[in-house]
Amino acid sequence: MKEKTPLMQRDGTRSVLASLLSILIGLVAGAVVVFLVGLFNKSMSLKTAWEGIQLIFLGIISTGRNAAGELTFGFNPVTFGNMLFRATPLILTGLSVAVAYKTGLFNIGAPGQYLAGTAATLFIALEIPSSVVPAWVIWILAFLGGMAAGALWGAVPGFVKAFLNINEVLACIMTNWIAANLVTWAFDVSNLKNTVENTKTAYIYKTSFNGVQTPKMFLDKIFPGSQINGGILIAIALAILMYIIFTKTTFGYELKACGANRHAAKYAGIKDKRSIILSMAIAGAMSGAAASLYYLAGNTEFFWSTYQSLPATGFNGIPVALLAVCNPIAVIFTGMFMSMLDISGLQLTNLTAYNEYITDVIISVIVYLSAFSLVIKLWLGGKAKKKAGAKPDANAEPAPKADAGKEAGK
Amino acid sequence: MEQTPEYVIEMLHITKEFPGIKANDDITLQLKKGEIHALLGENGAGKSTLMSVLFGLYQPEQGEIRKNGKPVKIESPNDATALHIGMVHQHFKLIEVFTVLDNIILGAEDTKMGFLQKKDARAKVKALSEQYGLHVDLDAKVEDITVGMQQRTEILKMLYRDNEILIFDEPTAVLTPQEIEELMQIMKNLAAEGKSILFISHKLNEIMEVSDRVTVLRKGKYVGTIDTASTTKEELSRMMVGRPVQLVVDKDPAQPKEAVLTVEGLTVPSKIHKNDAVKNVSFTAHAGEIVCIAGIDGNGQTEFVHALTGLEKASAGKIELCGRDITHLPIRARSQTGMSHIPEDRHKHGLVLDFTLEQNMVLQRYYEPQFQSHGFIRFGAVRSYAEKLIEQYDVRSGQGPVTVARSMSGGNQQKAIVAREIDRDLPLIVAVQPTRGLDVGAIESVHKQLVAQRDEGKAVLLVSLELDEVMNLSDRILVMYEGEIVGELDPKKTTVEELGLYMAGAKRQGKERESA
Amino acid sequence: MSFLIRQTLIYAVPLMIVALAGVFAERSGIINLALEGIMIFGAFIGVLFVRLVQQWGWFNVAKEMNNWVALQGFLLLTMVVAAILGAVFSLLLAFAAINLKADQTIGGTALNLMAPALVLFLIRLIANQNTLQMATGDASSWFMIKKTMFGFDKKAKLGFFASTFLDKVYLTTYVCIILFIILSIILYKTRFGLRLRSCGENPQAADSLGINVRKMRYAGVTISGALAGMGGFVYALTTTNCSSNGDVAGFGFLALAVMIFGNWKPLNIAGAALLFGLFKCIAAAYASIDINGDGVFLLANIGLNANFYRLLPYLITLLVLAFTSKNSRAPKAEGIPYDKGQR
Repeated sequence: MKEKTPLMQRDGTRSVLASLLSILIGLVAGAVVVFLVGLFNKSMSLKTAWEGIQLIFLGIISTGRNAAGELTFGFNPVTFGNMLFRATPLILTGLSVAVAYKTGLFNIGAPGQYLAGTAATLFIALEIPSSVVPAWVIWILAFLGGMAAGALWGAVPGFVKAFLNINEVLACIMTNWIAANLVTWAFDVSNLKNTVENTKTAYIYKTSFNGVQTPKMFLDKIFPGSQINGGILIAIALAILMYIIFTKTTFGYELKACGANRHAAKYAGIKDKRSIILSMAIAGAMSGAAASLYYLAGNTEFFWSTYQSLPATGFNGIPVALLAVCNPIAVIFTGMFMSMLDISGLQLTNLTAYNEYITDVIISVIVYLSAFSLVIKLWLGGKAKKKAGAKPDANAEPAPKADAGKEAGK
Repeated sequence: MEQTPEYVIEMLHITKEFPGIKANDDITLQLKKGEIHALLGENGAGKSTLMSVLFGLYQPEQGEIRKNGKPVKIESPNDATALHIGMVHQHFKLIEVFTVLDNIILGAEDTKMGFLQKKDARAKVKALSEQYGLHVDLDAKVEDITVGMQQRTEILKMLYRDNEILIFDEPTAVLTPQEIEELMQIMKNLAAEGKSILFISHKLNEIMEVSDRVTVLRKGKYVGTIDTASTTKEELSRMMVGRPVQLVVDKDPAQPKEAVLTVEGLTVPSKIHKNDAVKNVSFTAHAGEIVCIAGIDGNGQTEFVHALTGLEKASAGKIELCGRDITHLPIRARSQTGMSHIPEDRHKHGLVLDFTLEQNMVLQRYYEPQFQSHGFIRFGAVRSYAEKLIEQYDVRSGQGPVTVARSMSGGNQQKAIVAREIDRDLPLIVAVQPTRGLDVGAIESVHKQLVAQRDEGKAVLLVSLELDEVMNLSDRILVMYEGEIVGELDPKKTTVEELGLYMAGAKRQGKERESA
Repeated sequence: MSFLIRQTLIYAVPLMIVALAGVFAERSGIINLALEGIMIFGAFIGVLFVRLVQQWGWFNVAKEMNNWVALQGFLLLTMVVAAILGAVFSLLLAFAAINLKADQTIGGTALNLMAPALVLFLIRLIANQNTLQMATGDASSWFMIKKTMFGFDKKAKLGFFASTFLDKVYLTTYVCIILFIILSIILYKTRFGLRLRSCGENPQAADSLGINVRKMRYAGVTISGALAGMGGFVYALTTTNCSSNGDVAGFGFLALAVMIFGNWKPLNIAGAALLFGLFKCIAAAYASIDINGDGVFLLANIGLNANFYRLLPYLITLLVLAFTSKNSRAPKAEGIPYDKGQR
């Protein structure tokens, strides 16, 4: 046993490297797709393909085209500000998936929880007249309402998992679609459809219509012209709060114990059912907060006839969380990375013949890689020497190991 | 003309290394045709590795394997099968939802255009089961038949494949004394018919009874091979452990004091079938005694312990602990009333395998003021407490308190649980199979600790399947059969044979006169 | 009534075949959460193939001649193509789950994200919009079987049986049903089926008997991918008029629920699929369902919101899972990567 573990052997280091490698492979895969399309598509030149590849990697510092039609790059406060604005909900849905995962649950229900949060937030923010109640009170109510609605919607799969032992993945998928239909239904019969701007159909009023919007907190001075507001700070604060809860408190200990081994937790007197429901409720609250902060920005509007599709922000919480190895602090950064990819996608649509869906391809490749991140980590640690490294107990004696295997196989 | 070789299988000078350890170091094992050859060694002595080499799961760095005197190369289980080597594994390799017949033919099916043809197979299996007295219902699903029958299915699997060399890996661990008796007979029959048998075990009684020769391994090394007839249990155990072993625990007679646990009419419904798993169980455990619930696996002991500790709900009855009615209390309240619990399944209940050792050490008491303030964990206190337990109970692990529990050996995992539960210092210790999977040395130490706790005035409720443990450790034996207490025995006045009859349901107190 | 049965079958058949896809993967020990993604991919491939073949003009003569036998052949060919590419796509899951011992839930989720992304990316490039359609004509004019093809007059009144099963139907329905039966028999009556099932229950045991667990699991996932890919195309053909838009509305997940509800057994799955098909059919066409043919649209007249009918299948799924989950028995080893060393 050495006193100090070398940097490369440390688990944290390897996790970070594995994530970076996943990102790199994902981007390269995107570039390859772009290149192949450029190669086989007669209407595209290789130059177009090269521009596409550049934008995939450098979209965040793209500043458009110059007079000569060449792509230009440089720092752009608007793009950066927008990146942070878009990162806000992604960080929160990422947290939603991450905290559930830490407690042994795969929260694929973030889209539904996000929709529940959206509905609650918009109803509160738009139905309470700001002429009667101060706007900042409405803002707080709407934010808390969104979180509560998300928590409630997250608790449903938690409840059926805890009491009926239904796989939470399936339950989440069903609650997603139920939410999509319920929300459509609720807005369909509401009086919140935007009738002022006639050009738009099936959109709900912006919250600023009722004078409710998230304060900028001087961030607009740093990133002038962008959509940024104080929401990003709230998201970061929530991430830190989650980090503290899950690493420092007995409450977090209980939730994690229950996630890692429900039976052992129960044996130790932890209320396993309560823990599962609470885990999912917390996860749901994060997704709800994601929706609240996005729509309370005041400049965003909600397409209410959503029964046929689920919000991508919810699903994108999965890669955000997985890339961060479910560490709440790391989620802040991976959330920003994902929103950076989004921006790159938009640049791609605006500046080339390609479209933004390539970023989804990249994201899916990254998720795919994170499914076997353990293998990548082992490989990085230089321990991929077959059998010894493939098992966690590489240093233990082999015979008891076989024994442990048998016990587990029982 | 070549003369018939003396040995059917020889493993000569086998060496198999894993990173950091030689699991097999120059081991030689020679099996004669028609003999029953025992392979003796503690957990970790290298028996499993040696068998994996024989089955082609591992390739040895050195040494060779010979069949009938000719060197052979075994690179996969298929090669072993082709050489007619078969094995009954300790944990059966059966598909529970398949029928017995399907299990037997799996991997060696007759087909016509890909479709299964079971008629000939059925006839062959029937003939084999007649020949060797292996009776089993071919159309029953494996999950519905007894463990003994499952073992017969495994034996039939080997015979169906015309195996000549039969390996039995710890075959008696799961059987009743009567079933063990039958198995011994079956093994003798098989050997008499010319099959060669390799019998892996650490139970000296059985080795002495059934085997012709014994090969002993210790810590990966070859100790020796001797004729069973010319040795004794004591000599074998010394060869196995490397020092003289105390086979019986030293203890003074118990001095029971006040009642700690009183169970009255406890009934627990079964999750599997409609009958009750535990029926109307009543008894009292006193401070200063070790009460043992003996019985064959699956006779309601698990459900009883679960109901006692709160993991399951009882449908009727009353439990009183330290004078307090705990029948309807949740798990934590029971444990706080004064009950610690060494669970039966250390991986399912005993440990959170993905937590570190220190996190596991406080699993039962993380919420105590000692380890938290205002909901925040006091990491320093947890660390020093874990270090104390590790030191005191000799729990060995790679990185001390921060070792992930999953990476520890089974024996040390169990030691950690025993340490955690005993150190809580509560009036009642419920110990369910506390020595399962431990080697002789560790068993000795756990037994000593339990006796020490008894002598300190704790009540110990021991639930065990091991007859030796039951006889050696307990002050009072309650035998459980099909959910009922069918007898209360004094270990000093009873014999293993009598205990076996109670466990098998052949005898019961209160009804003896009727059956006699 | 004929209409109701036909419509129910349209939804039930893809559900059934995709649920069977799930069975083949899970019975071999791999959780195939990617059914949804593979369906999306299969739908895209099928539609793309139809479109390309139309552009190449292979069957244009047959269409002009009204040679419906040739056109049905075209349809079968498309099913095969969708199945093959579905299988290829599913290899991504098999590779991650079997070779790299990946987390199967995450691996499946990755495929579910990848399929719509890739499909939409390509559709936008090919069609400059978000939906890919046939090059000419529509699904019904090219592929639908109508009574006139059997020599009946357009106005002829057919019996209940003929009008339900021979008029305004797609060949895919029957191909899927026949495939379903054949594959169920293979699963239970052949050596391959027996071995496949053993790998999902106890791979250690299978391995000890010389069965190649990897190969069996690859076979299970590949068959699963082929069926799901084909099911995706069938879904696109019959419910969205042979078009693809990177979405099958959670159908793959419903199929998973059907599989669990059907307890991983083909016969129960067929029943469950019919039940769910009925609810899906009600959701899609409640306004035009005239159950007893008296001209009264009962469901529409109740006056419930359309969204209620739309969420019904998902709500029922959840409720059904809630009531049946206690009795359900998943293959024991599903989702657990097989590690040879662990005996």
